[in-house]
Amino acid sequence: MSVARYDHGSRIPGWDDAVDLSKDPASIPDPALTPVPAELRQQIEAAMARYPDFRSAAIPALHAAQELHGWCSPEAIEQVACVMRLTPAYLTAVVGFYDMFESKPVGRNTVYVCTNISCSLRGARELHAAVQQAAGDDPDFNVRAFECLGACDIAPMASVNGAYVGPLELSDAERIVEQLRAGEDVLPEKQLLRRKVADPRASTDAPALFDDEDRA
Amino acid sequence: MPRPEVRIVTFSIDGREVQAPEGVMLVDGAKHGDVEIPVFCYEPKLGQPVGACRMCLVEIEGIPKLQTACSTPVKDGMVVHTQTTRVREAQNSVVEFLLVNHPLDCPVCDKGGECPLQDITFGWGRGISRMVEPKRHFKKPLELSPLIAIDRERCILCYRCVRFSQEVSEDYQLILHERGAQSYVGTFDSHPYVAPFSGNIIELCPVGALTSRPYRFRARPWDIEGAGTVCTLCPSQCNVELTVRDERVLRVLGRDHADVDDGWLCDKGRFAYQAIHSEERIVEPLVRDGDQLRPASWERALSAAASALGKARGSVGALAGGTTTNEEAFLLQRLVREGLGSADVDSRIDGSPMPLELQRALAAPALGATVPDIEFAHTVLVLGTEPVDDAPILDLRIRKGVRRRGVQLAVATPRPSSLDRNAKLWLRYAPGAEHAFLAALEAALGASGDVDRLCAVADADPKAVRALADLLGEDGRGDVVILWGERVGAAALPALLNVAGRLGLAEREGAGLLEVPASANGRGLREAGMQPNAGPGLSEVAAAGRSAQQIAAAAADGELAALYLLHTDPIRDGADAPLWRRALARASTVIAHSAFLTDELREHATVVFPAESYAEKEGTVTHPDGRLQRLRPGIGHPGSVRAEWSVLAELERAVSVRVPQGDTNGHSSPLTGPMATRQLVEAVPFYAGLTLEEIGGRGVRWQERAAAEAFPAGPAGPFDVGEPTPVASPHGALRLGTFRSIWAAPEVEHAPALKFLARSATLEVSPADAERLGIENGDRVRVGNDDRSVEARAAIRGNAPAGTVFLDAGLPAGGASELVDGTPVSVDRAGVEVTA
Amino acid sequence: MSELLLFKDIDEPGLASREVYERRGGYESLKRALRMPREEVLQNLLDSGLRGRGGAGFAMGKKASFLPKGTMDKYLVCNADESEPGTFKDRELMQKSPHMLVEGMIIAAYAADANRSFIYIRGEYQQQAEILERAIEEARSAGYLGERILGSDHSLSLVLHRGAGAYICGEETGLLDSLEGKRGNPRLKPPFPANQGLYQGPTLINNVETLATVPHIIRLGGQEYAKLGTETSTGTKLVSVSGNVQRPGNYEIELGIPAREIIFGLAGGPERGRDVKFWFPGGSSSPVLTPAELDLPYDFDSMAKAGSMLGSGAIIVVDDSQSVVDVALTLAKFYRHESCGKCTPCREGTNWTVKMLQRVESGEATPMDLDIIASVQEQIMGNCLCVLGDAMAMPVASMVSKFRDEFEAHIETRRAQLGLGEPTEPTPLEAVGVGS
Repeated sequence: MSVARYDHGSRIPGWDDAVDLSKDPASIPDPALTPVPAELRQQIEAAMARYPDFRSAAIPALHAAQELHGWCSPEAIEQVACVMRLTPAYLTAVVGFYDMFESKPVGRNTVYVCTNISCSLRGARELHAAVQQAAGDDPDFNVRAFECLGACDIAPMASVNGAYVGPLELSDAERIVEQLRAGEDVLPEKQLLRRKVADPRASTDAPALFDDEDRA
Repeated sequence: MPRPEVRIVTFSIDGREVQAPEGVMLVDGAKHGDVEIPVFCYEPKLGQPVGACRMCLVEIEGIPKLQTACSTPVKDGMVVHTQTTRVREAQNSVVEFLLVNHPLDCPVCDKGGECPLQDITFGWGRGISRMVEPKRHFKKPLELSPLIAIDRERCILCYRCVRFSQEVSEDYQLILHERGAQSYVGTFDSHPYVAPFSGNIIELCPVGALTSRPYRFRARPWDIEGAGTVCTLCPSQCNVELTVRDERVLRVLGRDHADVDDGWLCDKGRFAYQAIHSEERIVEPLVRDGDQLRPASWERALSAAASALGKARGSVGALAGGTTTNEEAFLLQRLVREGLGSADVDSRIDGSPMPLELQRALAAPALGATVPDIEFAHTVLVLGTEPVDDAPILDLRIRKGVRRRGVQLAVATPRPSSLDRNAKLWLRYAPGAEHAFLAALEAALGASGDVDRLCAVADADPKAVRALADLLGEDGRGDVVILWGERVGAAALPALLNVAGRLGLAEREGAGLLEVPASANGRGLREAGMQPNAGPGLSEVAAAGRSAQQIAAAAADGELAALYLLHTDPIRDGADAPLWRRALARASTVIAHSAFLTDELREHATVVFPAESYAEKEGTVTHPDGRLQRLRPGIGHPGSVRAEWSVLAELERAVSVRVPQGDTNGHSSPLTGPMATRQLVEAVPFYAGLTLEEIGGRGVRWQERAAAEAFPAGPAGPFDVGEPTPVASPHGALRLGTFRSIWAAPEVEHAPALKFLARSATLEVSPADAERLGIENGDRVRVGNDDRSVEARAAIRGNAPAGTVFLDAGLPAGGASELVDGTPVSVDRAGVEVTA
Repeated sequence: MSELLLFKDIDEPGLASREVYERRGGYESLKRALRMPREEVLQNLLDSGLRGRGGAGFAMGKKASFLPKGTMDKYLVCNADESEPGTFKDRELMQKSPHMLVEGMIIAAYAADANRSFIYIRGEYQQQAEILERAIEEARSAGYLGERILGSDHSLSLVLHRGAGAYICGEETGLLDSLEGKRGNPRLKPPFPANQGLYQGPTLINNVETLATVPHIIRLGGQEYAKLGTETSTGTKLVSVSGNVQRPGNYEIELGIPAREIIFGLAGGPERGRDVKFWFPGGSSSPVLTPAELDLPYDFDSMAKAGSMLGSGAIIVVDDSQSVVDVALTLAKFYRHESCGKCTPCREGTNWTVKMLQRVESGEATPMDLDIIASVQEQIMGNCLCVLGDAMAMPVASMVSKFRDEFEAHIETRRAQLGLGEPTEPTPLEAVGVGS
C-alpha cells in the first residue's frame, strides 16, 4: 500500500481515508461482543477510579492498552472504549493528539532521539540518522525523531524505552541497538539518573561526573 | 420555570448606541445595531463558544488585546469597534490564514453561492493571497457515509461538525484526527458516520467540505427556490425549508424553530424527500379490474369509490394515520359518520381506545408540557418511549437539557434506551407492564398500594421505582415533565394521571405531560374527531364505534363490508398483521390513499387514490404539545395527484352528506383548502377563530389562545387505577418486546439514499439468553408463538434484560406484528427445528 | 551568590526517599504551615513575591488568592509538563527531590483551600513519574496526604497523571483538557481556571519549581524570602543552560545577576574559539538576544525591557558556528508540530511559516519572502487563542529582524550553489486571486 506524501517527504495523513461503507457505525462497543483481557480491564478500571470524572482515565488507559498491544490498534481502542463506555472515536481523537501514542504498528524497542533546538545545536540530527541506520529495517525497533525531551543538559540525547541517555556520540548509535538486541542495560554510564546536578555548589564533584550509586 | 430574566443593556458599536439583551454575545448583540461581525466557528446551537476561528476579533475599549466577539457578552457601557485598522488587519489575516489550505475551487463546489467562506473572504479579506507554497492535498471527494461526502481540502477546521457529533447528537463518532495543521475530520477506523442526526453537519459546514451526496451537483443557489413547510414523517413535526427546483424537492433544510425543533433535523426528515419523486410512487387513481388494479380517471375512481362505499353504508371502518392533516381527518370522520352512517373511525392503528374522560384529563391545557419545557425542567421522565425512534428531535432536546441546563433525566422503559447513559436513573419493566409499573410508582409516591407486589407484577426493581419516586417527588425542587409514549396503552393512563396529580404537574407552569403519539399527527387526528369514542374537539358521540383492532376483527369476521385507509398501512402500523390480512381479504371494499402499493393493496384494494406527500399538502397538523402548524405546498402535484381534502370532499358530495350545522357558507363540502380548515376550526371549540394567517409560519399552540377556555374539562383525579393484568410469565420461553425504529418507514424504503438504513427484522437478545439458546451474534433465528413465527437476525445486546427479547415492529412484513402481542416466544436458530 | 534553596542537598544520596528528605528537614515546613491559619500561609506566599516559574511569571500568592471561597471541590494542579525546549529544571527537581514538590503542594493546597490535587507530568518523563509515584505513596502512608493531614482540618488527595507527548499540554488550560481525558486543546479564557478549571471547579495551577519553592518560603518566612533577588523578581531561580556552552545543566541563581555570569561563569560559555551569536533568555519561545545584551541583569523585568522574556528560565546559547536560518526553521517546525490546530492563526501561521523558511533554507526564496515571513509573524501575534502561536512568532520575528543580513546571505549562497543565479523579484500581486 503506497502512502501519499508531500513533495518534501512527509506523510499526508488522512489522504485517502474514505470510510468503508460496509462497516457499521462505530458506537460504544457492546460488552457482550467485545472481549477485553482481564488484566487490561483491571488496569483501566483502576485508572477510572482515581479521578472524579472517569474520562480522565483516557490517557492512562491508552498507555496500558498500547503497552499490551504494542500500538493503539483498532482492537486496543475498542477494548478501552468498551471498558470506559466511550466511543472508539473519542479515544482515536485522543490517540491522534499525543505523540507517544502509536497509530501504526511499531517495533517494541522505542528510541526517541531529541532533535529539538538544544540537541540539534550539538549534532542531534546526525545522531538520529545514525540510530536509524543502526536499527536498519529491524521490525523490533521504533526509532523516532522527537521534540524536546527535557534533557538538554545531556544533549544530544535519546530516550531508550523510557530511559534517558546522553550526551551521545555518533558511535553510541550502534551500541544502543546492540544492547537493546541483547536485552542489556543501555549505556549505563550515560544514563541520566546517575548524573549529578551541574551547579557546582550543589554537587561535590560537578560538573558532569557520575555517582557510583544508582539512586533510582 | 427557571428561565433567565432578560435585561436590556446599552453599548456602543462603531459609534452607534445599541440596545441588546444582557448576556448575549457581542456577535449577536451587534446585529441589534445592524453591524455584522463575521464568524465561522460560532454557532450558539452547538453550546459554549470556542473562539477557535478568530474571525470575530474586535476592539473593545479598555482591553488591550483584540477580543473574540463570539465569546464576549455585551455589557452596559461597552465601547466596541469593528472597523478600525487593527481589527481590519486581524480580519484580513484570519481570512488569509484560512485560505492557506483552502483550494478555492468555488466554480466546482456545491457550496458556491451560499458559502460563508466565500462571503466572508469577499467582505473581510484582502482580495489577494501571498501564499505561493503548495497547499495540502487530499483525495476528494471521499465518502463519510452513504449520505455525506467529505472534501478535506476545503475544510477550514472550524470544528462545527465535530462539535455537533460530540456535543449535540452525542453520538461521538466524528472526530479530529492528528493535531495542528495536520488535523482532519474523520471517524474511527474508517467506519462510516452513520447516526440519526448526521445530516445536520452538512448544514453546519461553513464551506463546501461536507456535502449531501443526494444533493451534490443537482443545483446552484440561483436555480432553486425555498419553500417553508412542516415535515410530517414523525410527531416531531420539524419546521423545514424545501429546496425546490423545477417542481422537484432536491433538499430539505431546517427552518429553526426554538419551540419545535431547535433548528435540527433527523436524517429521515432530511433525506426521505427522495421518496416524493420515487418512480414507484402512485401518481394516478387505480381502480380494481378483476384481479388487477388499473389506472383510471378521477371521475371513474371517485364514482367507483362512492358507489362501493354507498353500498356498504353503515358498515364502513376508517383509519387515518401518517401524514393525514387535521382537515383530512375531520372530513374523513364526517364522511364516515354523517355520510356513511358508521361510527367506526380510528387513528390509533395499533393502540387501544382511550376513554374520553381520560383523554380530556390528559389533554387539559394546564397539564400539557411544551417542547422547551423539556429543556428547562428540573426532572424529565421518559416513559415507555424511545425518543430517537418515536420523535427523534426530542431526543436532542432532552440531551440538551441534561447537558446544558442540568436537567435530571429518568428513563423508564422495557427496552434499554439510548438515553440511559444520560440518565440519573433508569429502570426496566416488562414489555406491556406500564399499568403495573405506573401503579407501583404511584404507590411509591404515597398512594395506597403495595409497591413490592406491583413491582413484581411489572417485573421492575422496587428499589429503582422508589428511587424514581424520590427523584420525581423531591419537594419544591421544581418542574417535572413526563414524556410518555402513546404505546404505554390505555390501561396505564389512570395511574399516569394520578402520578401527575401527586406531583402537582398541572399546577406548575413548566411542568406537565407530553405525549409522543404513535403517528405523526396523532394529536391532531384525535382532536379532529378521528376516533371511535369522540367527535371533533373531543366531543361526546352518541354511540362509540369500533377501535382499529375491533375494526380489523369485525372485517375479518365479515361484519364490516368496507375499509377506508387514509395514509396508513395497517399491516405495517397495526398490532396484528395476520388479522389485518384477513380483514383486508374479507372486506368487500377497500379504499386506500397511498403513495406506494403494498402486496395487500395490490390484491385487495378496490380503489387506490394517490396520496400526497407532505411537500404537496395544504392544511394543518397539530404538534404533540398542541401547536397547530401549517403545511404549505412547496411543489405541485406530480401526475394527476389531487389534494386529498378535495378527494374526501368529492366523496362526501357523492354520498350526499347533510349540510353541517353552522357552515355559514352553505357548502356541504369544502371547495378550497382554507375552507376545509375553517370547517375544522368551527367544529373544534378550542380551535375557535384560528385562521391560517394566525398559524402562519411558526404555528400557534391552541392552549395559549383564549378559545382554550372551551376545552371540555375532564374529571378531576384521582382515577381508579384498577388491578394491573400480570404480564405473561414466560415459563422458560421469552417475553417479547417490540420497538419501531426511526428507519421503519415506507419513506425510508423508497428513498434511494436512505435505503441502506431500511430495517429488516432484528431480534435483540441478552447475552445470557443467547448463551442458553446457543445463538451467536448475527445468527438467523426463528422467533415464534402460537404457531406463528418470523425469521430475524439475532443481535446480542449486553444491556438487554435477560428473559426478554425485542423484535422490530413497523416493517412492511415479517416484523413483530406477525406475532401475537404479549405472548411469550421461543427462539431457535433458523434451520433448526421450529417450536412454539 | 546567595545560599541554595532548591538545590541544597539535591545530590544527597537517597534524597528521593522520605527518610532522607525528612532527615534533611523535610516536611518541617508542612508541619509549621498546618499550625498556621490558612490566611497566614497565603499571606506568606503573597509576601514572598514569588512569581510563577513556568513561564508567565504571574505572582503565585495572588493566583492562589483568586480561588473562590466555599465548600465545593477545589483543585490544585501541578504543571509538570515541562516541555519548553531548553527547559529541564523540573525534571531534576522531581527526580532528585520529589518530596519537596509533594510538600510544597500540600502547603499550597492548604493555602488555597484545595482538597484535590494532581500532578500532570509529561509522558516522556517515565522515570521521574516512577520516582514521584513512590514519593506520593510514602507521603500517603506517612499521613501527609489523605484525610485530616497530621491531625489538622486539611485534607488532600494527590494523583499523578502522566501525559502522552504534547507540548501544548504545558499551557494551563490545554493541560486541564488533557487531564480531563480529552485532546489537550487550550480553552477560551475567560473563564479563568481559578473560577472554572478542572472539572469546571476552581483550580490553582502552578509549575513544579514554583510549588517546590513553597516549603522554603514557609521555612524562611515570606518577607525573608522576598529579600532574595530583586524587588520585582524575588528569590532564587533554577536556570537551565543548554546549547553551545561547555557545562550545560541546571543552576540555581539569585534573580538579578548578570546573564553573562550564568552563561560564562556557571555554564562555561561556548567552546574555546567560539563566540555567542545569540541566546534565548527564557526558552525557545523567547525572542533572541544578542551578545550586546549579555550584561543585563537576569530577571523578569530586565528581560522584558530588552524585548524578550525570562520565561521558564531556560537559556539556550547559540554560537557563531550555527546558522540562524537553521535555528529558525528548527524552531518553526517544532511549533508547527505542536500547534493543537484549534485556532486559525496558529495552525495556519506556523504551517505557512515553516513552508516559507524551507524555501529560504533551500534558496528558492527571495528577500521579499523575508518581509512576508515577518508580516505573517505580525499577523499571528496577539490574534491567537493561546500563546503558542506567539511563542513561534516572537522568536522567529526576532531572528529575521536581528539577522536579516544573514538570511539574505544564506539565500544568495544557496542560489549560487543551486546555480539559480540572481533571485528575480516576482511581481507581488501576481499572487493567487481570490473568489470563484
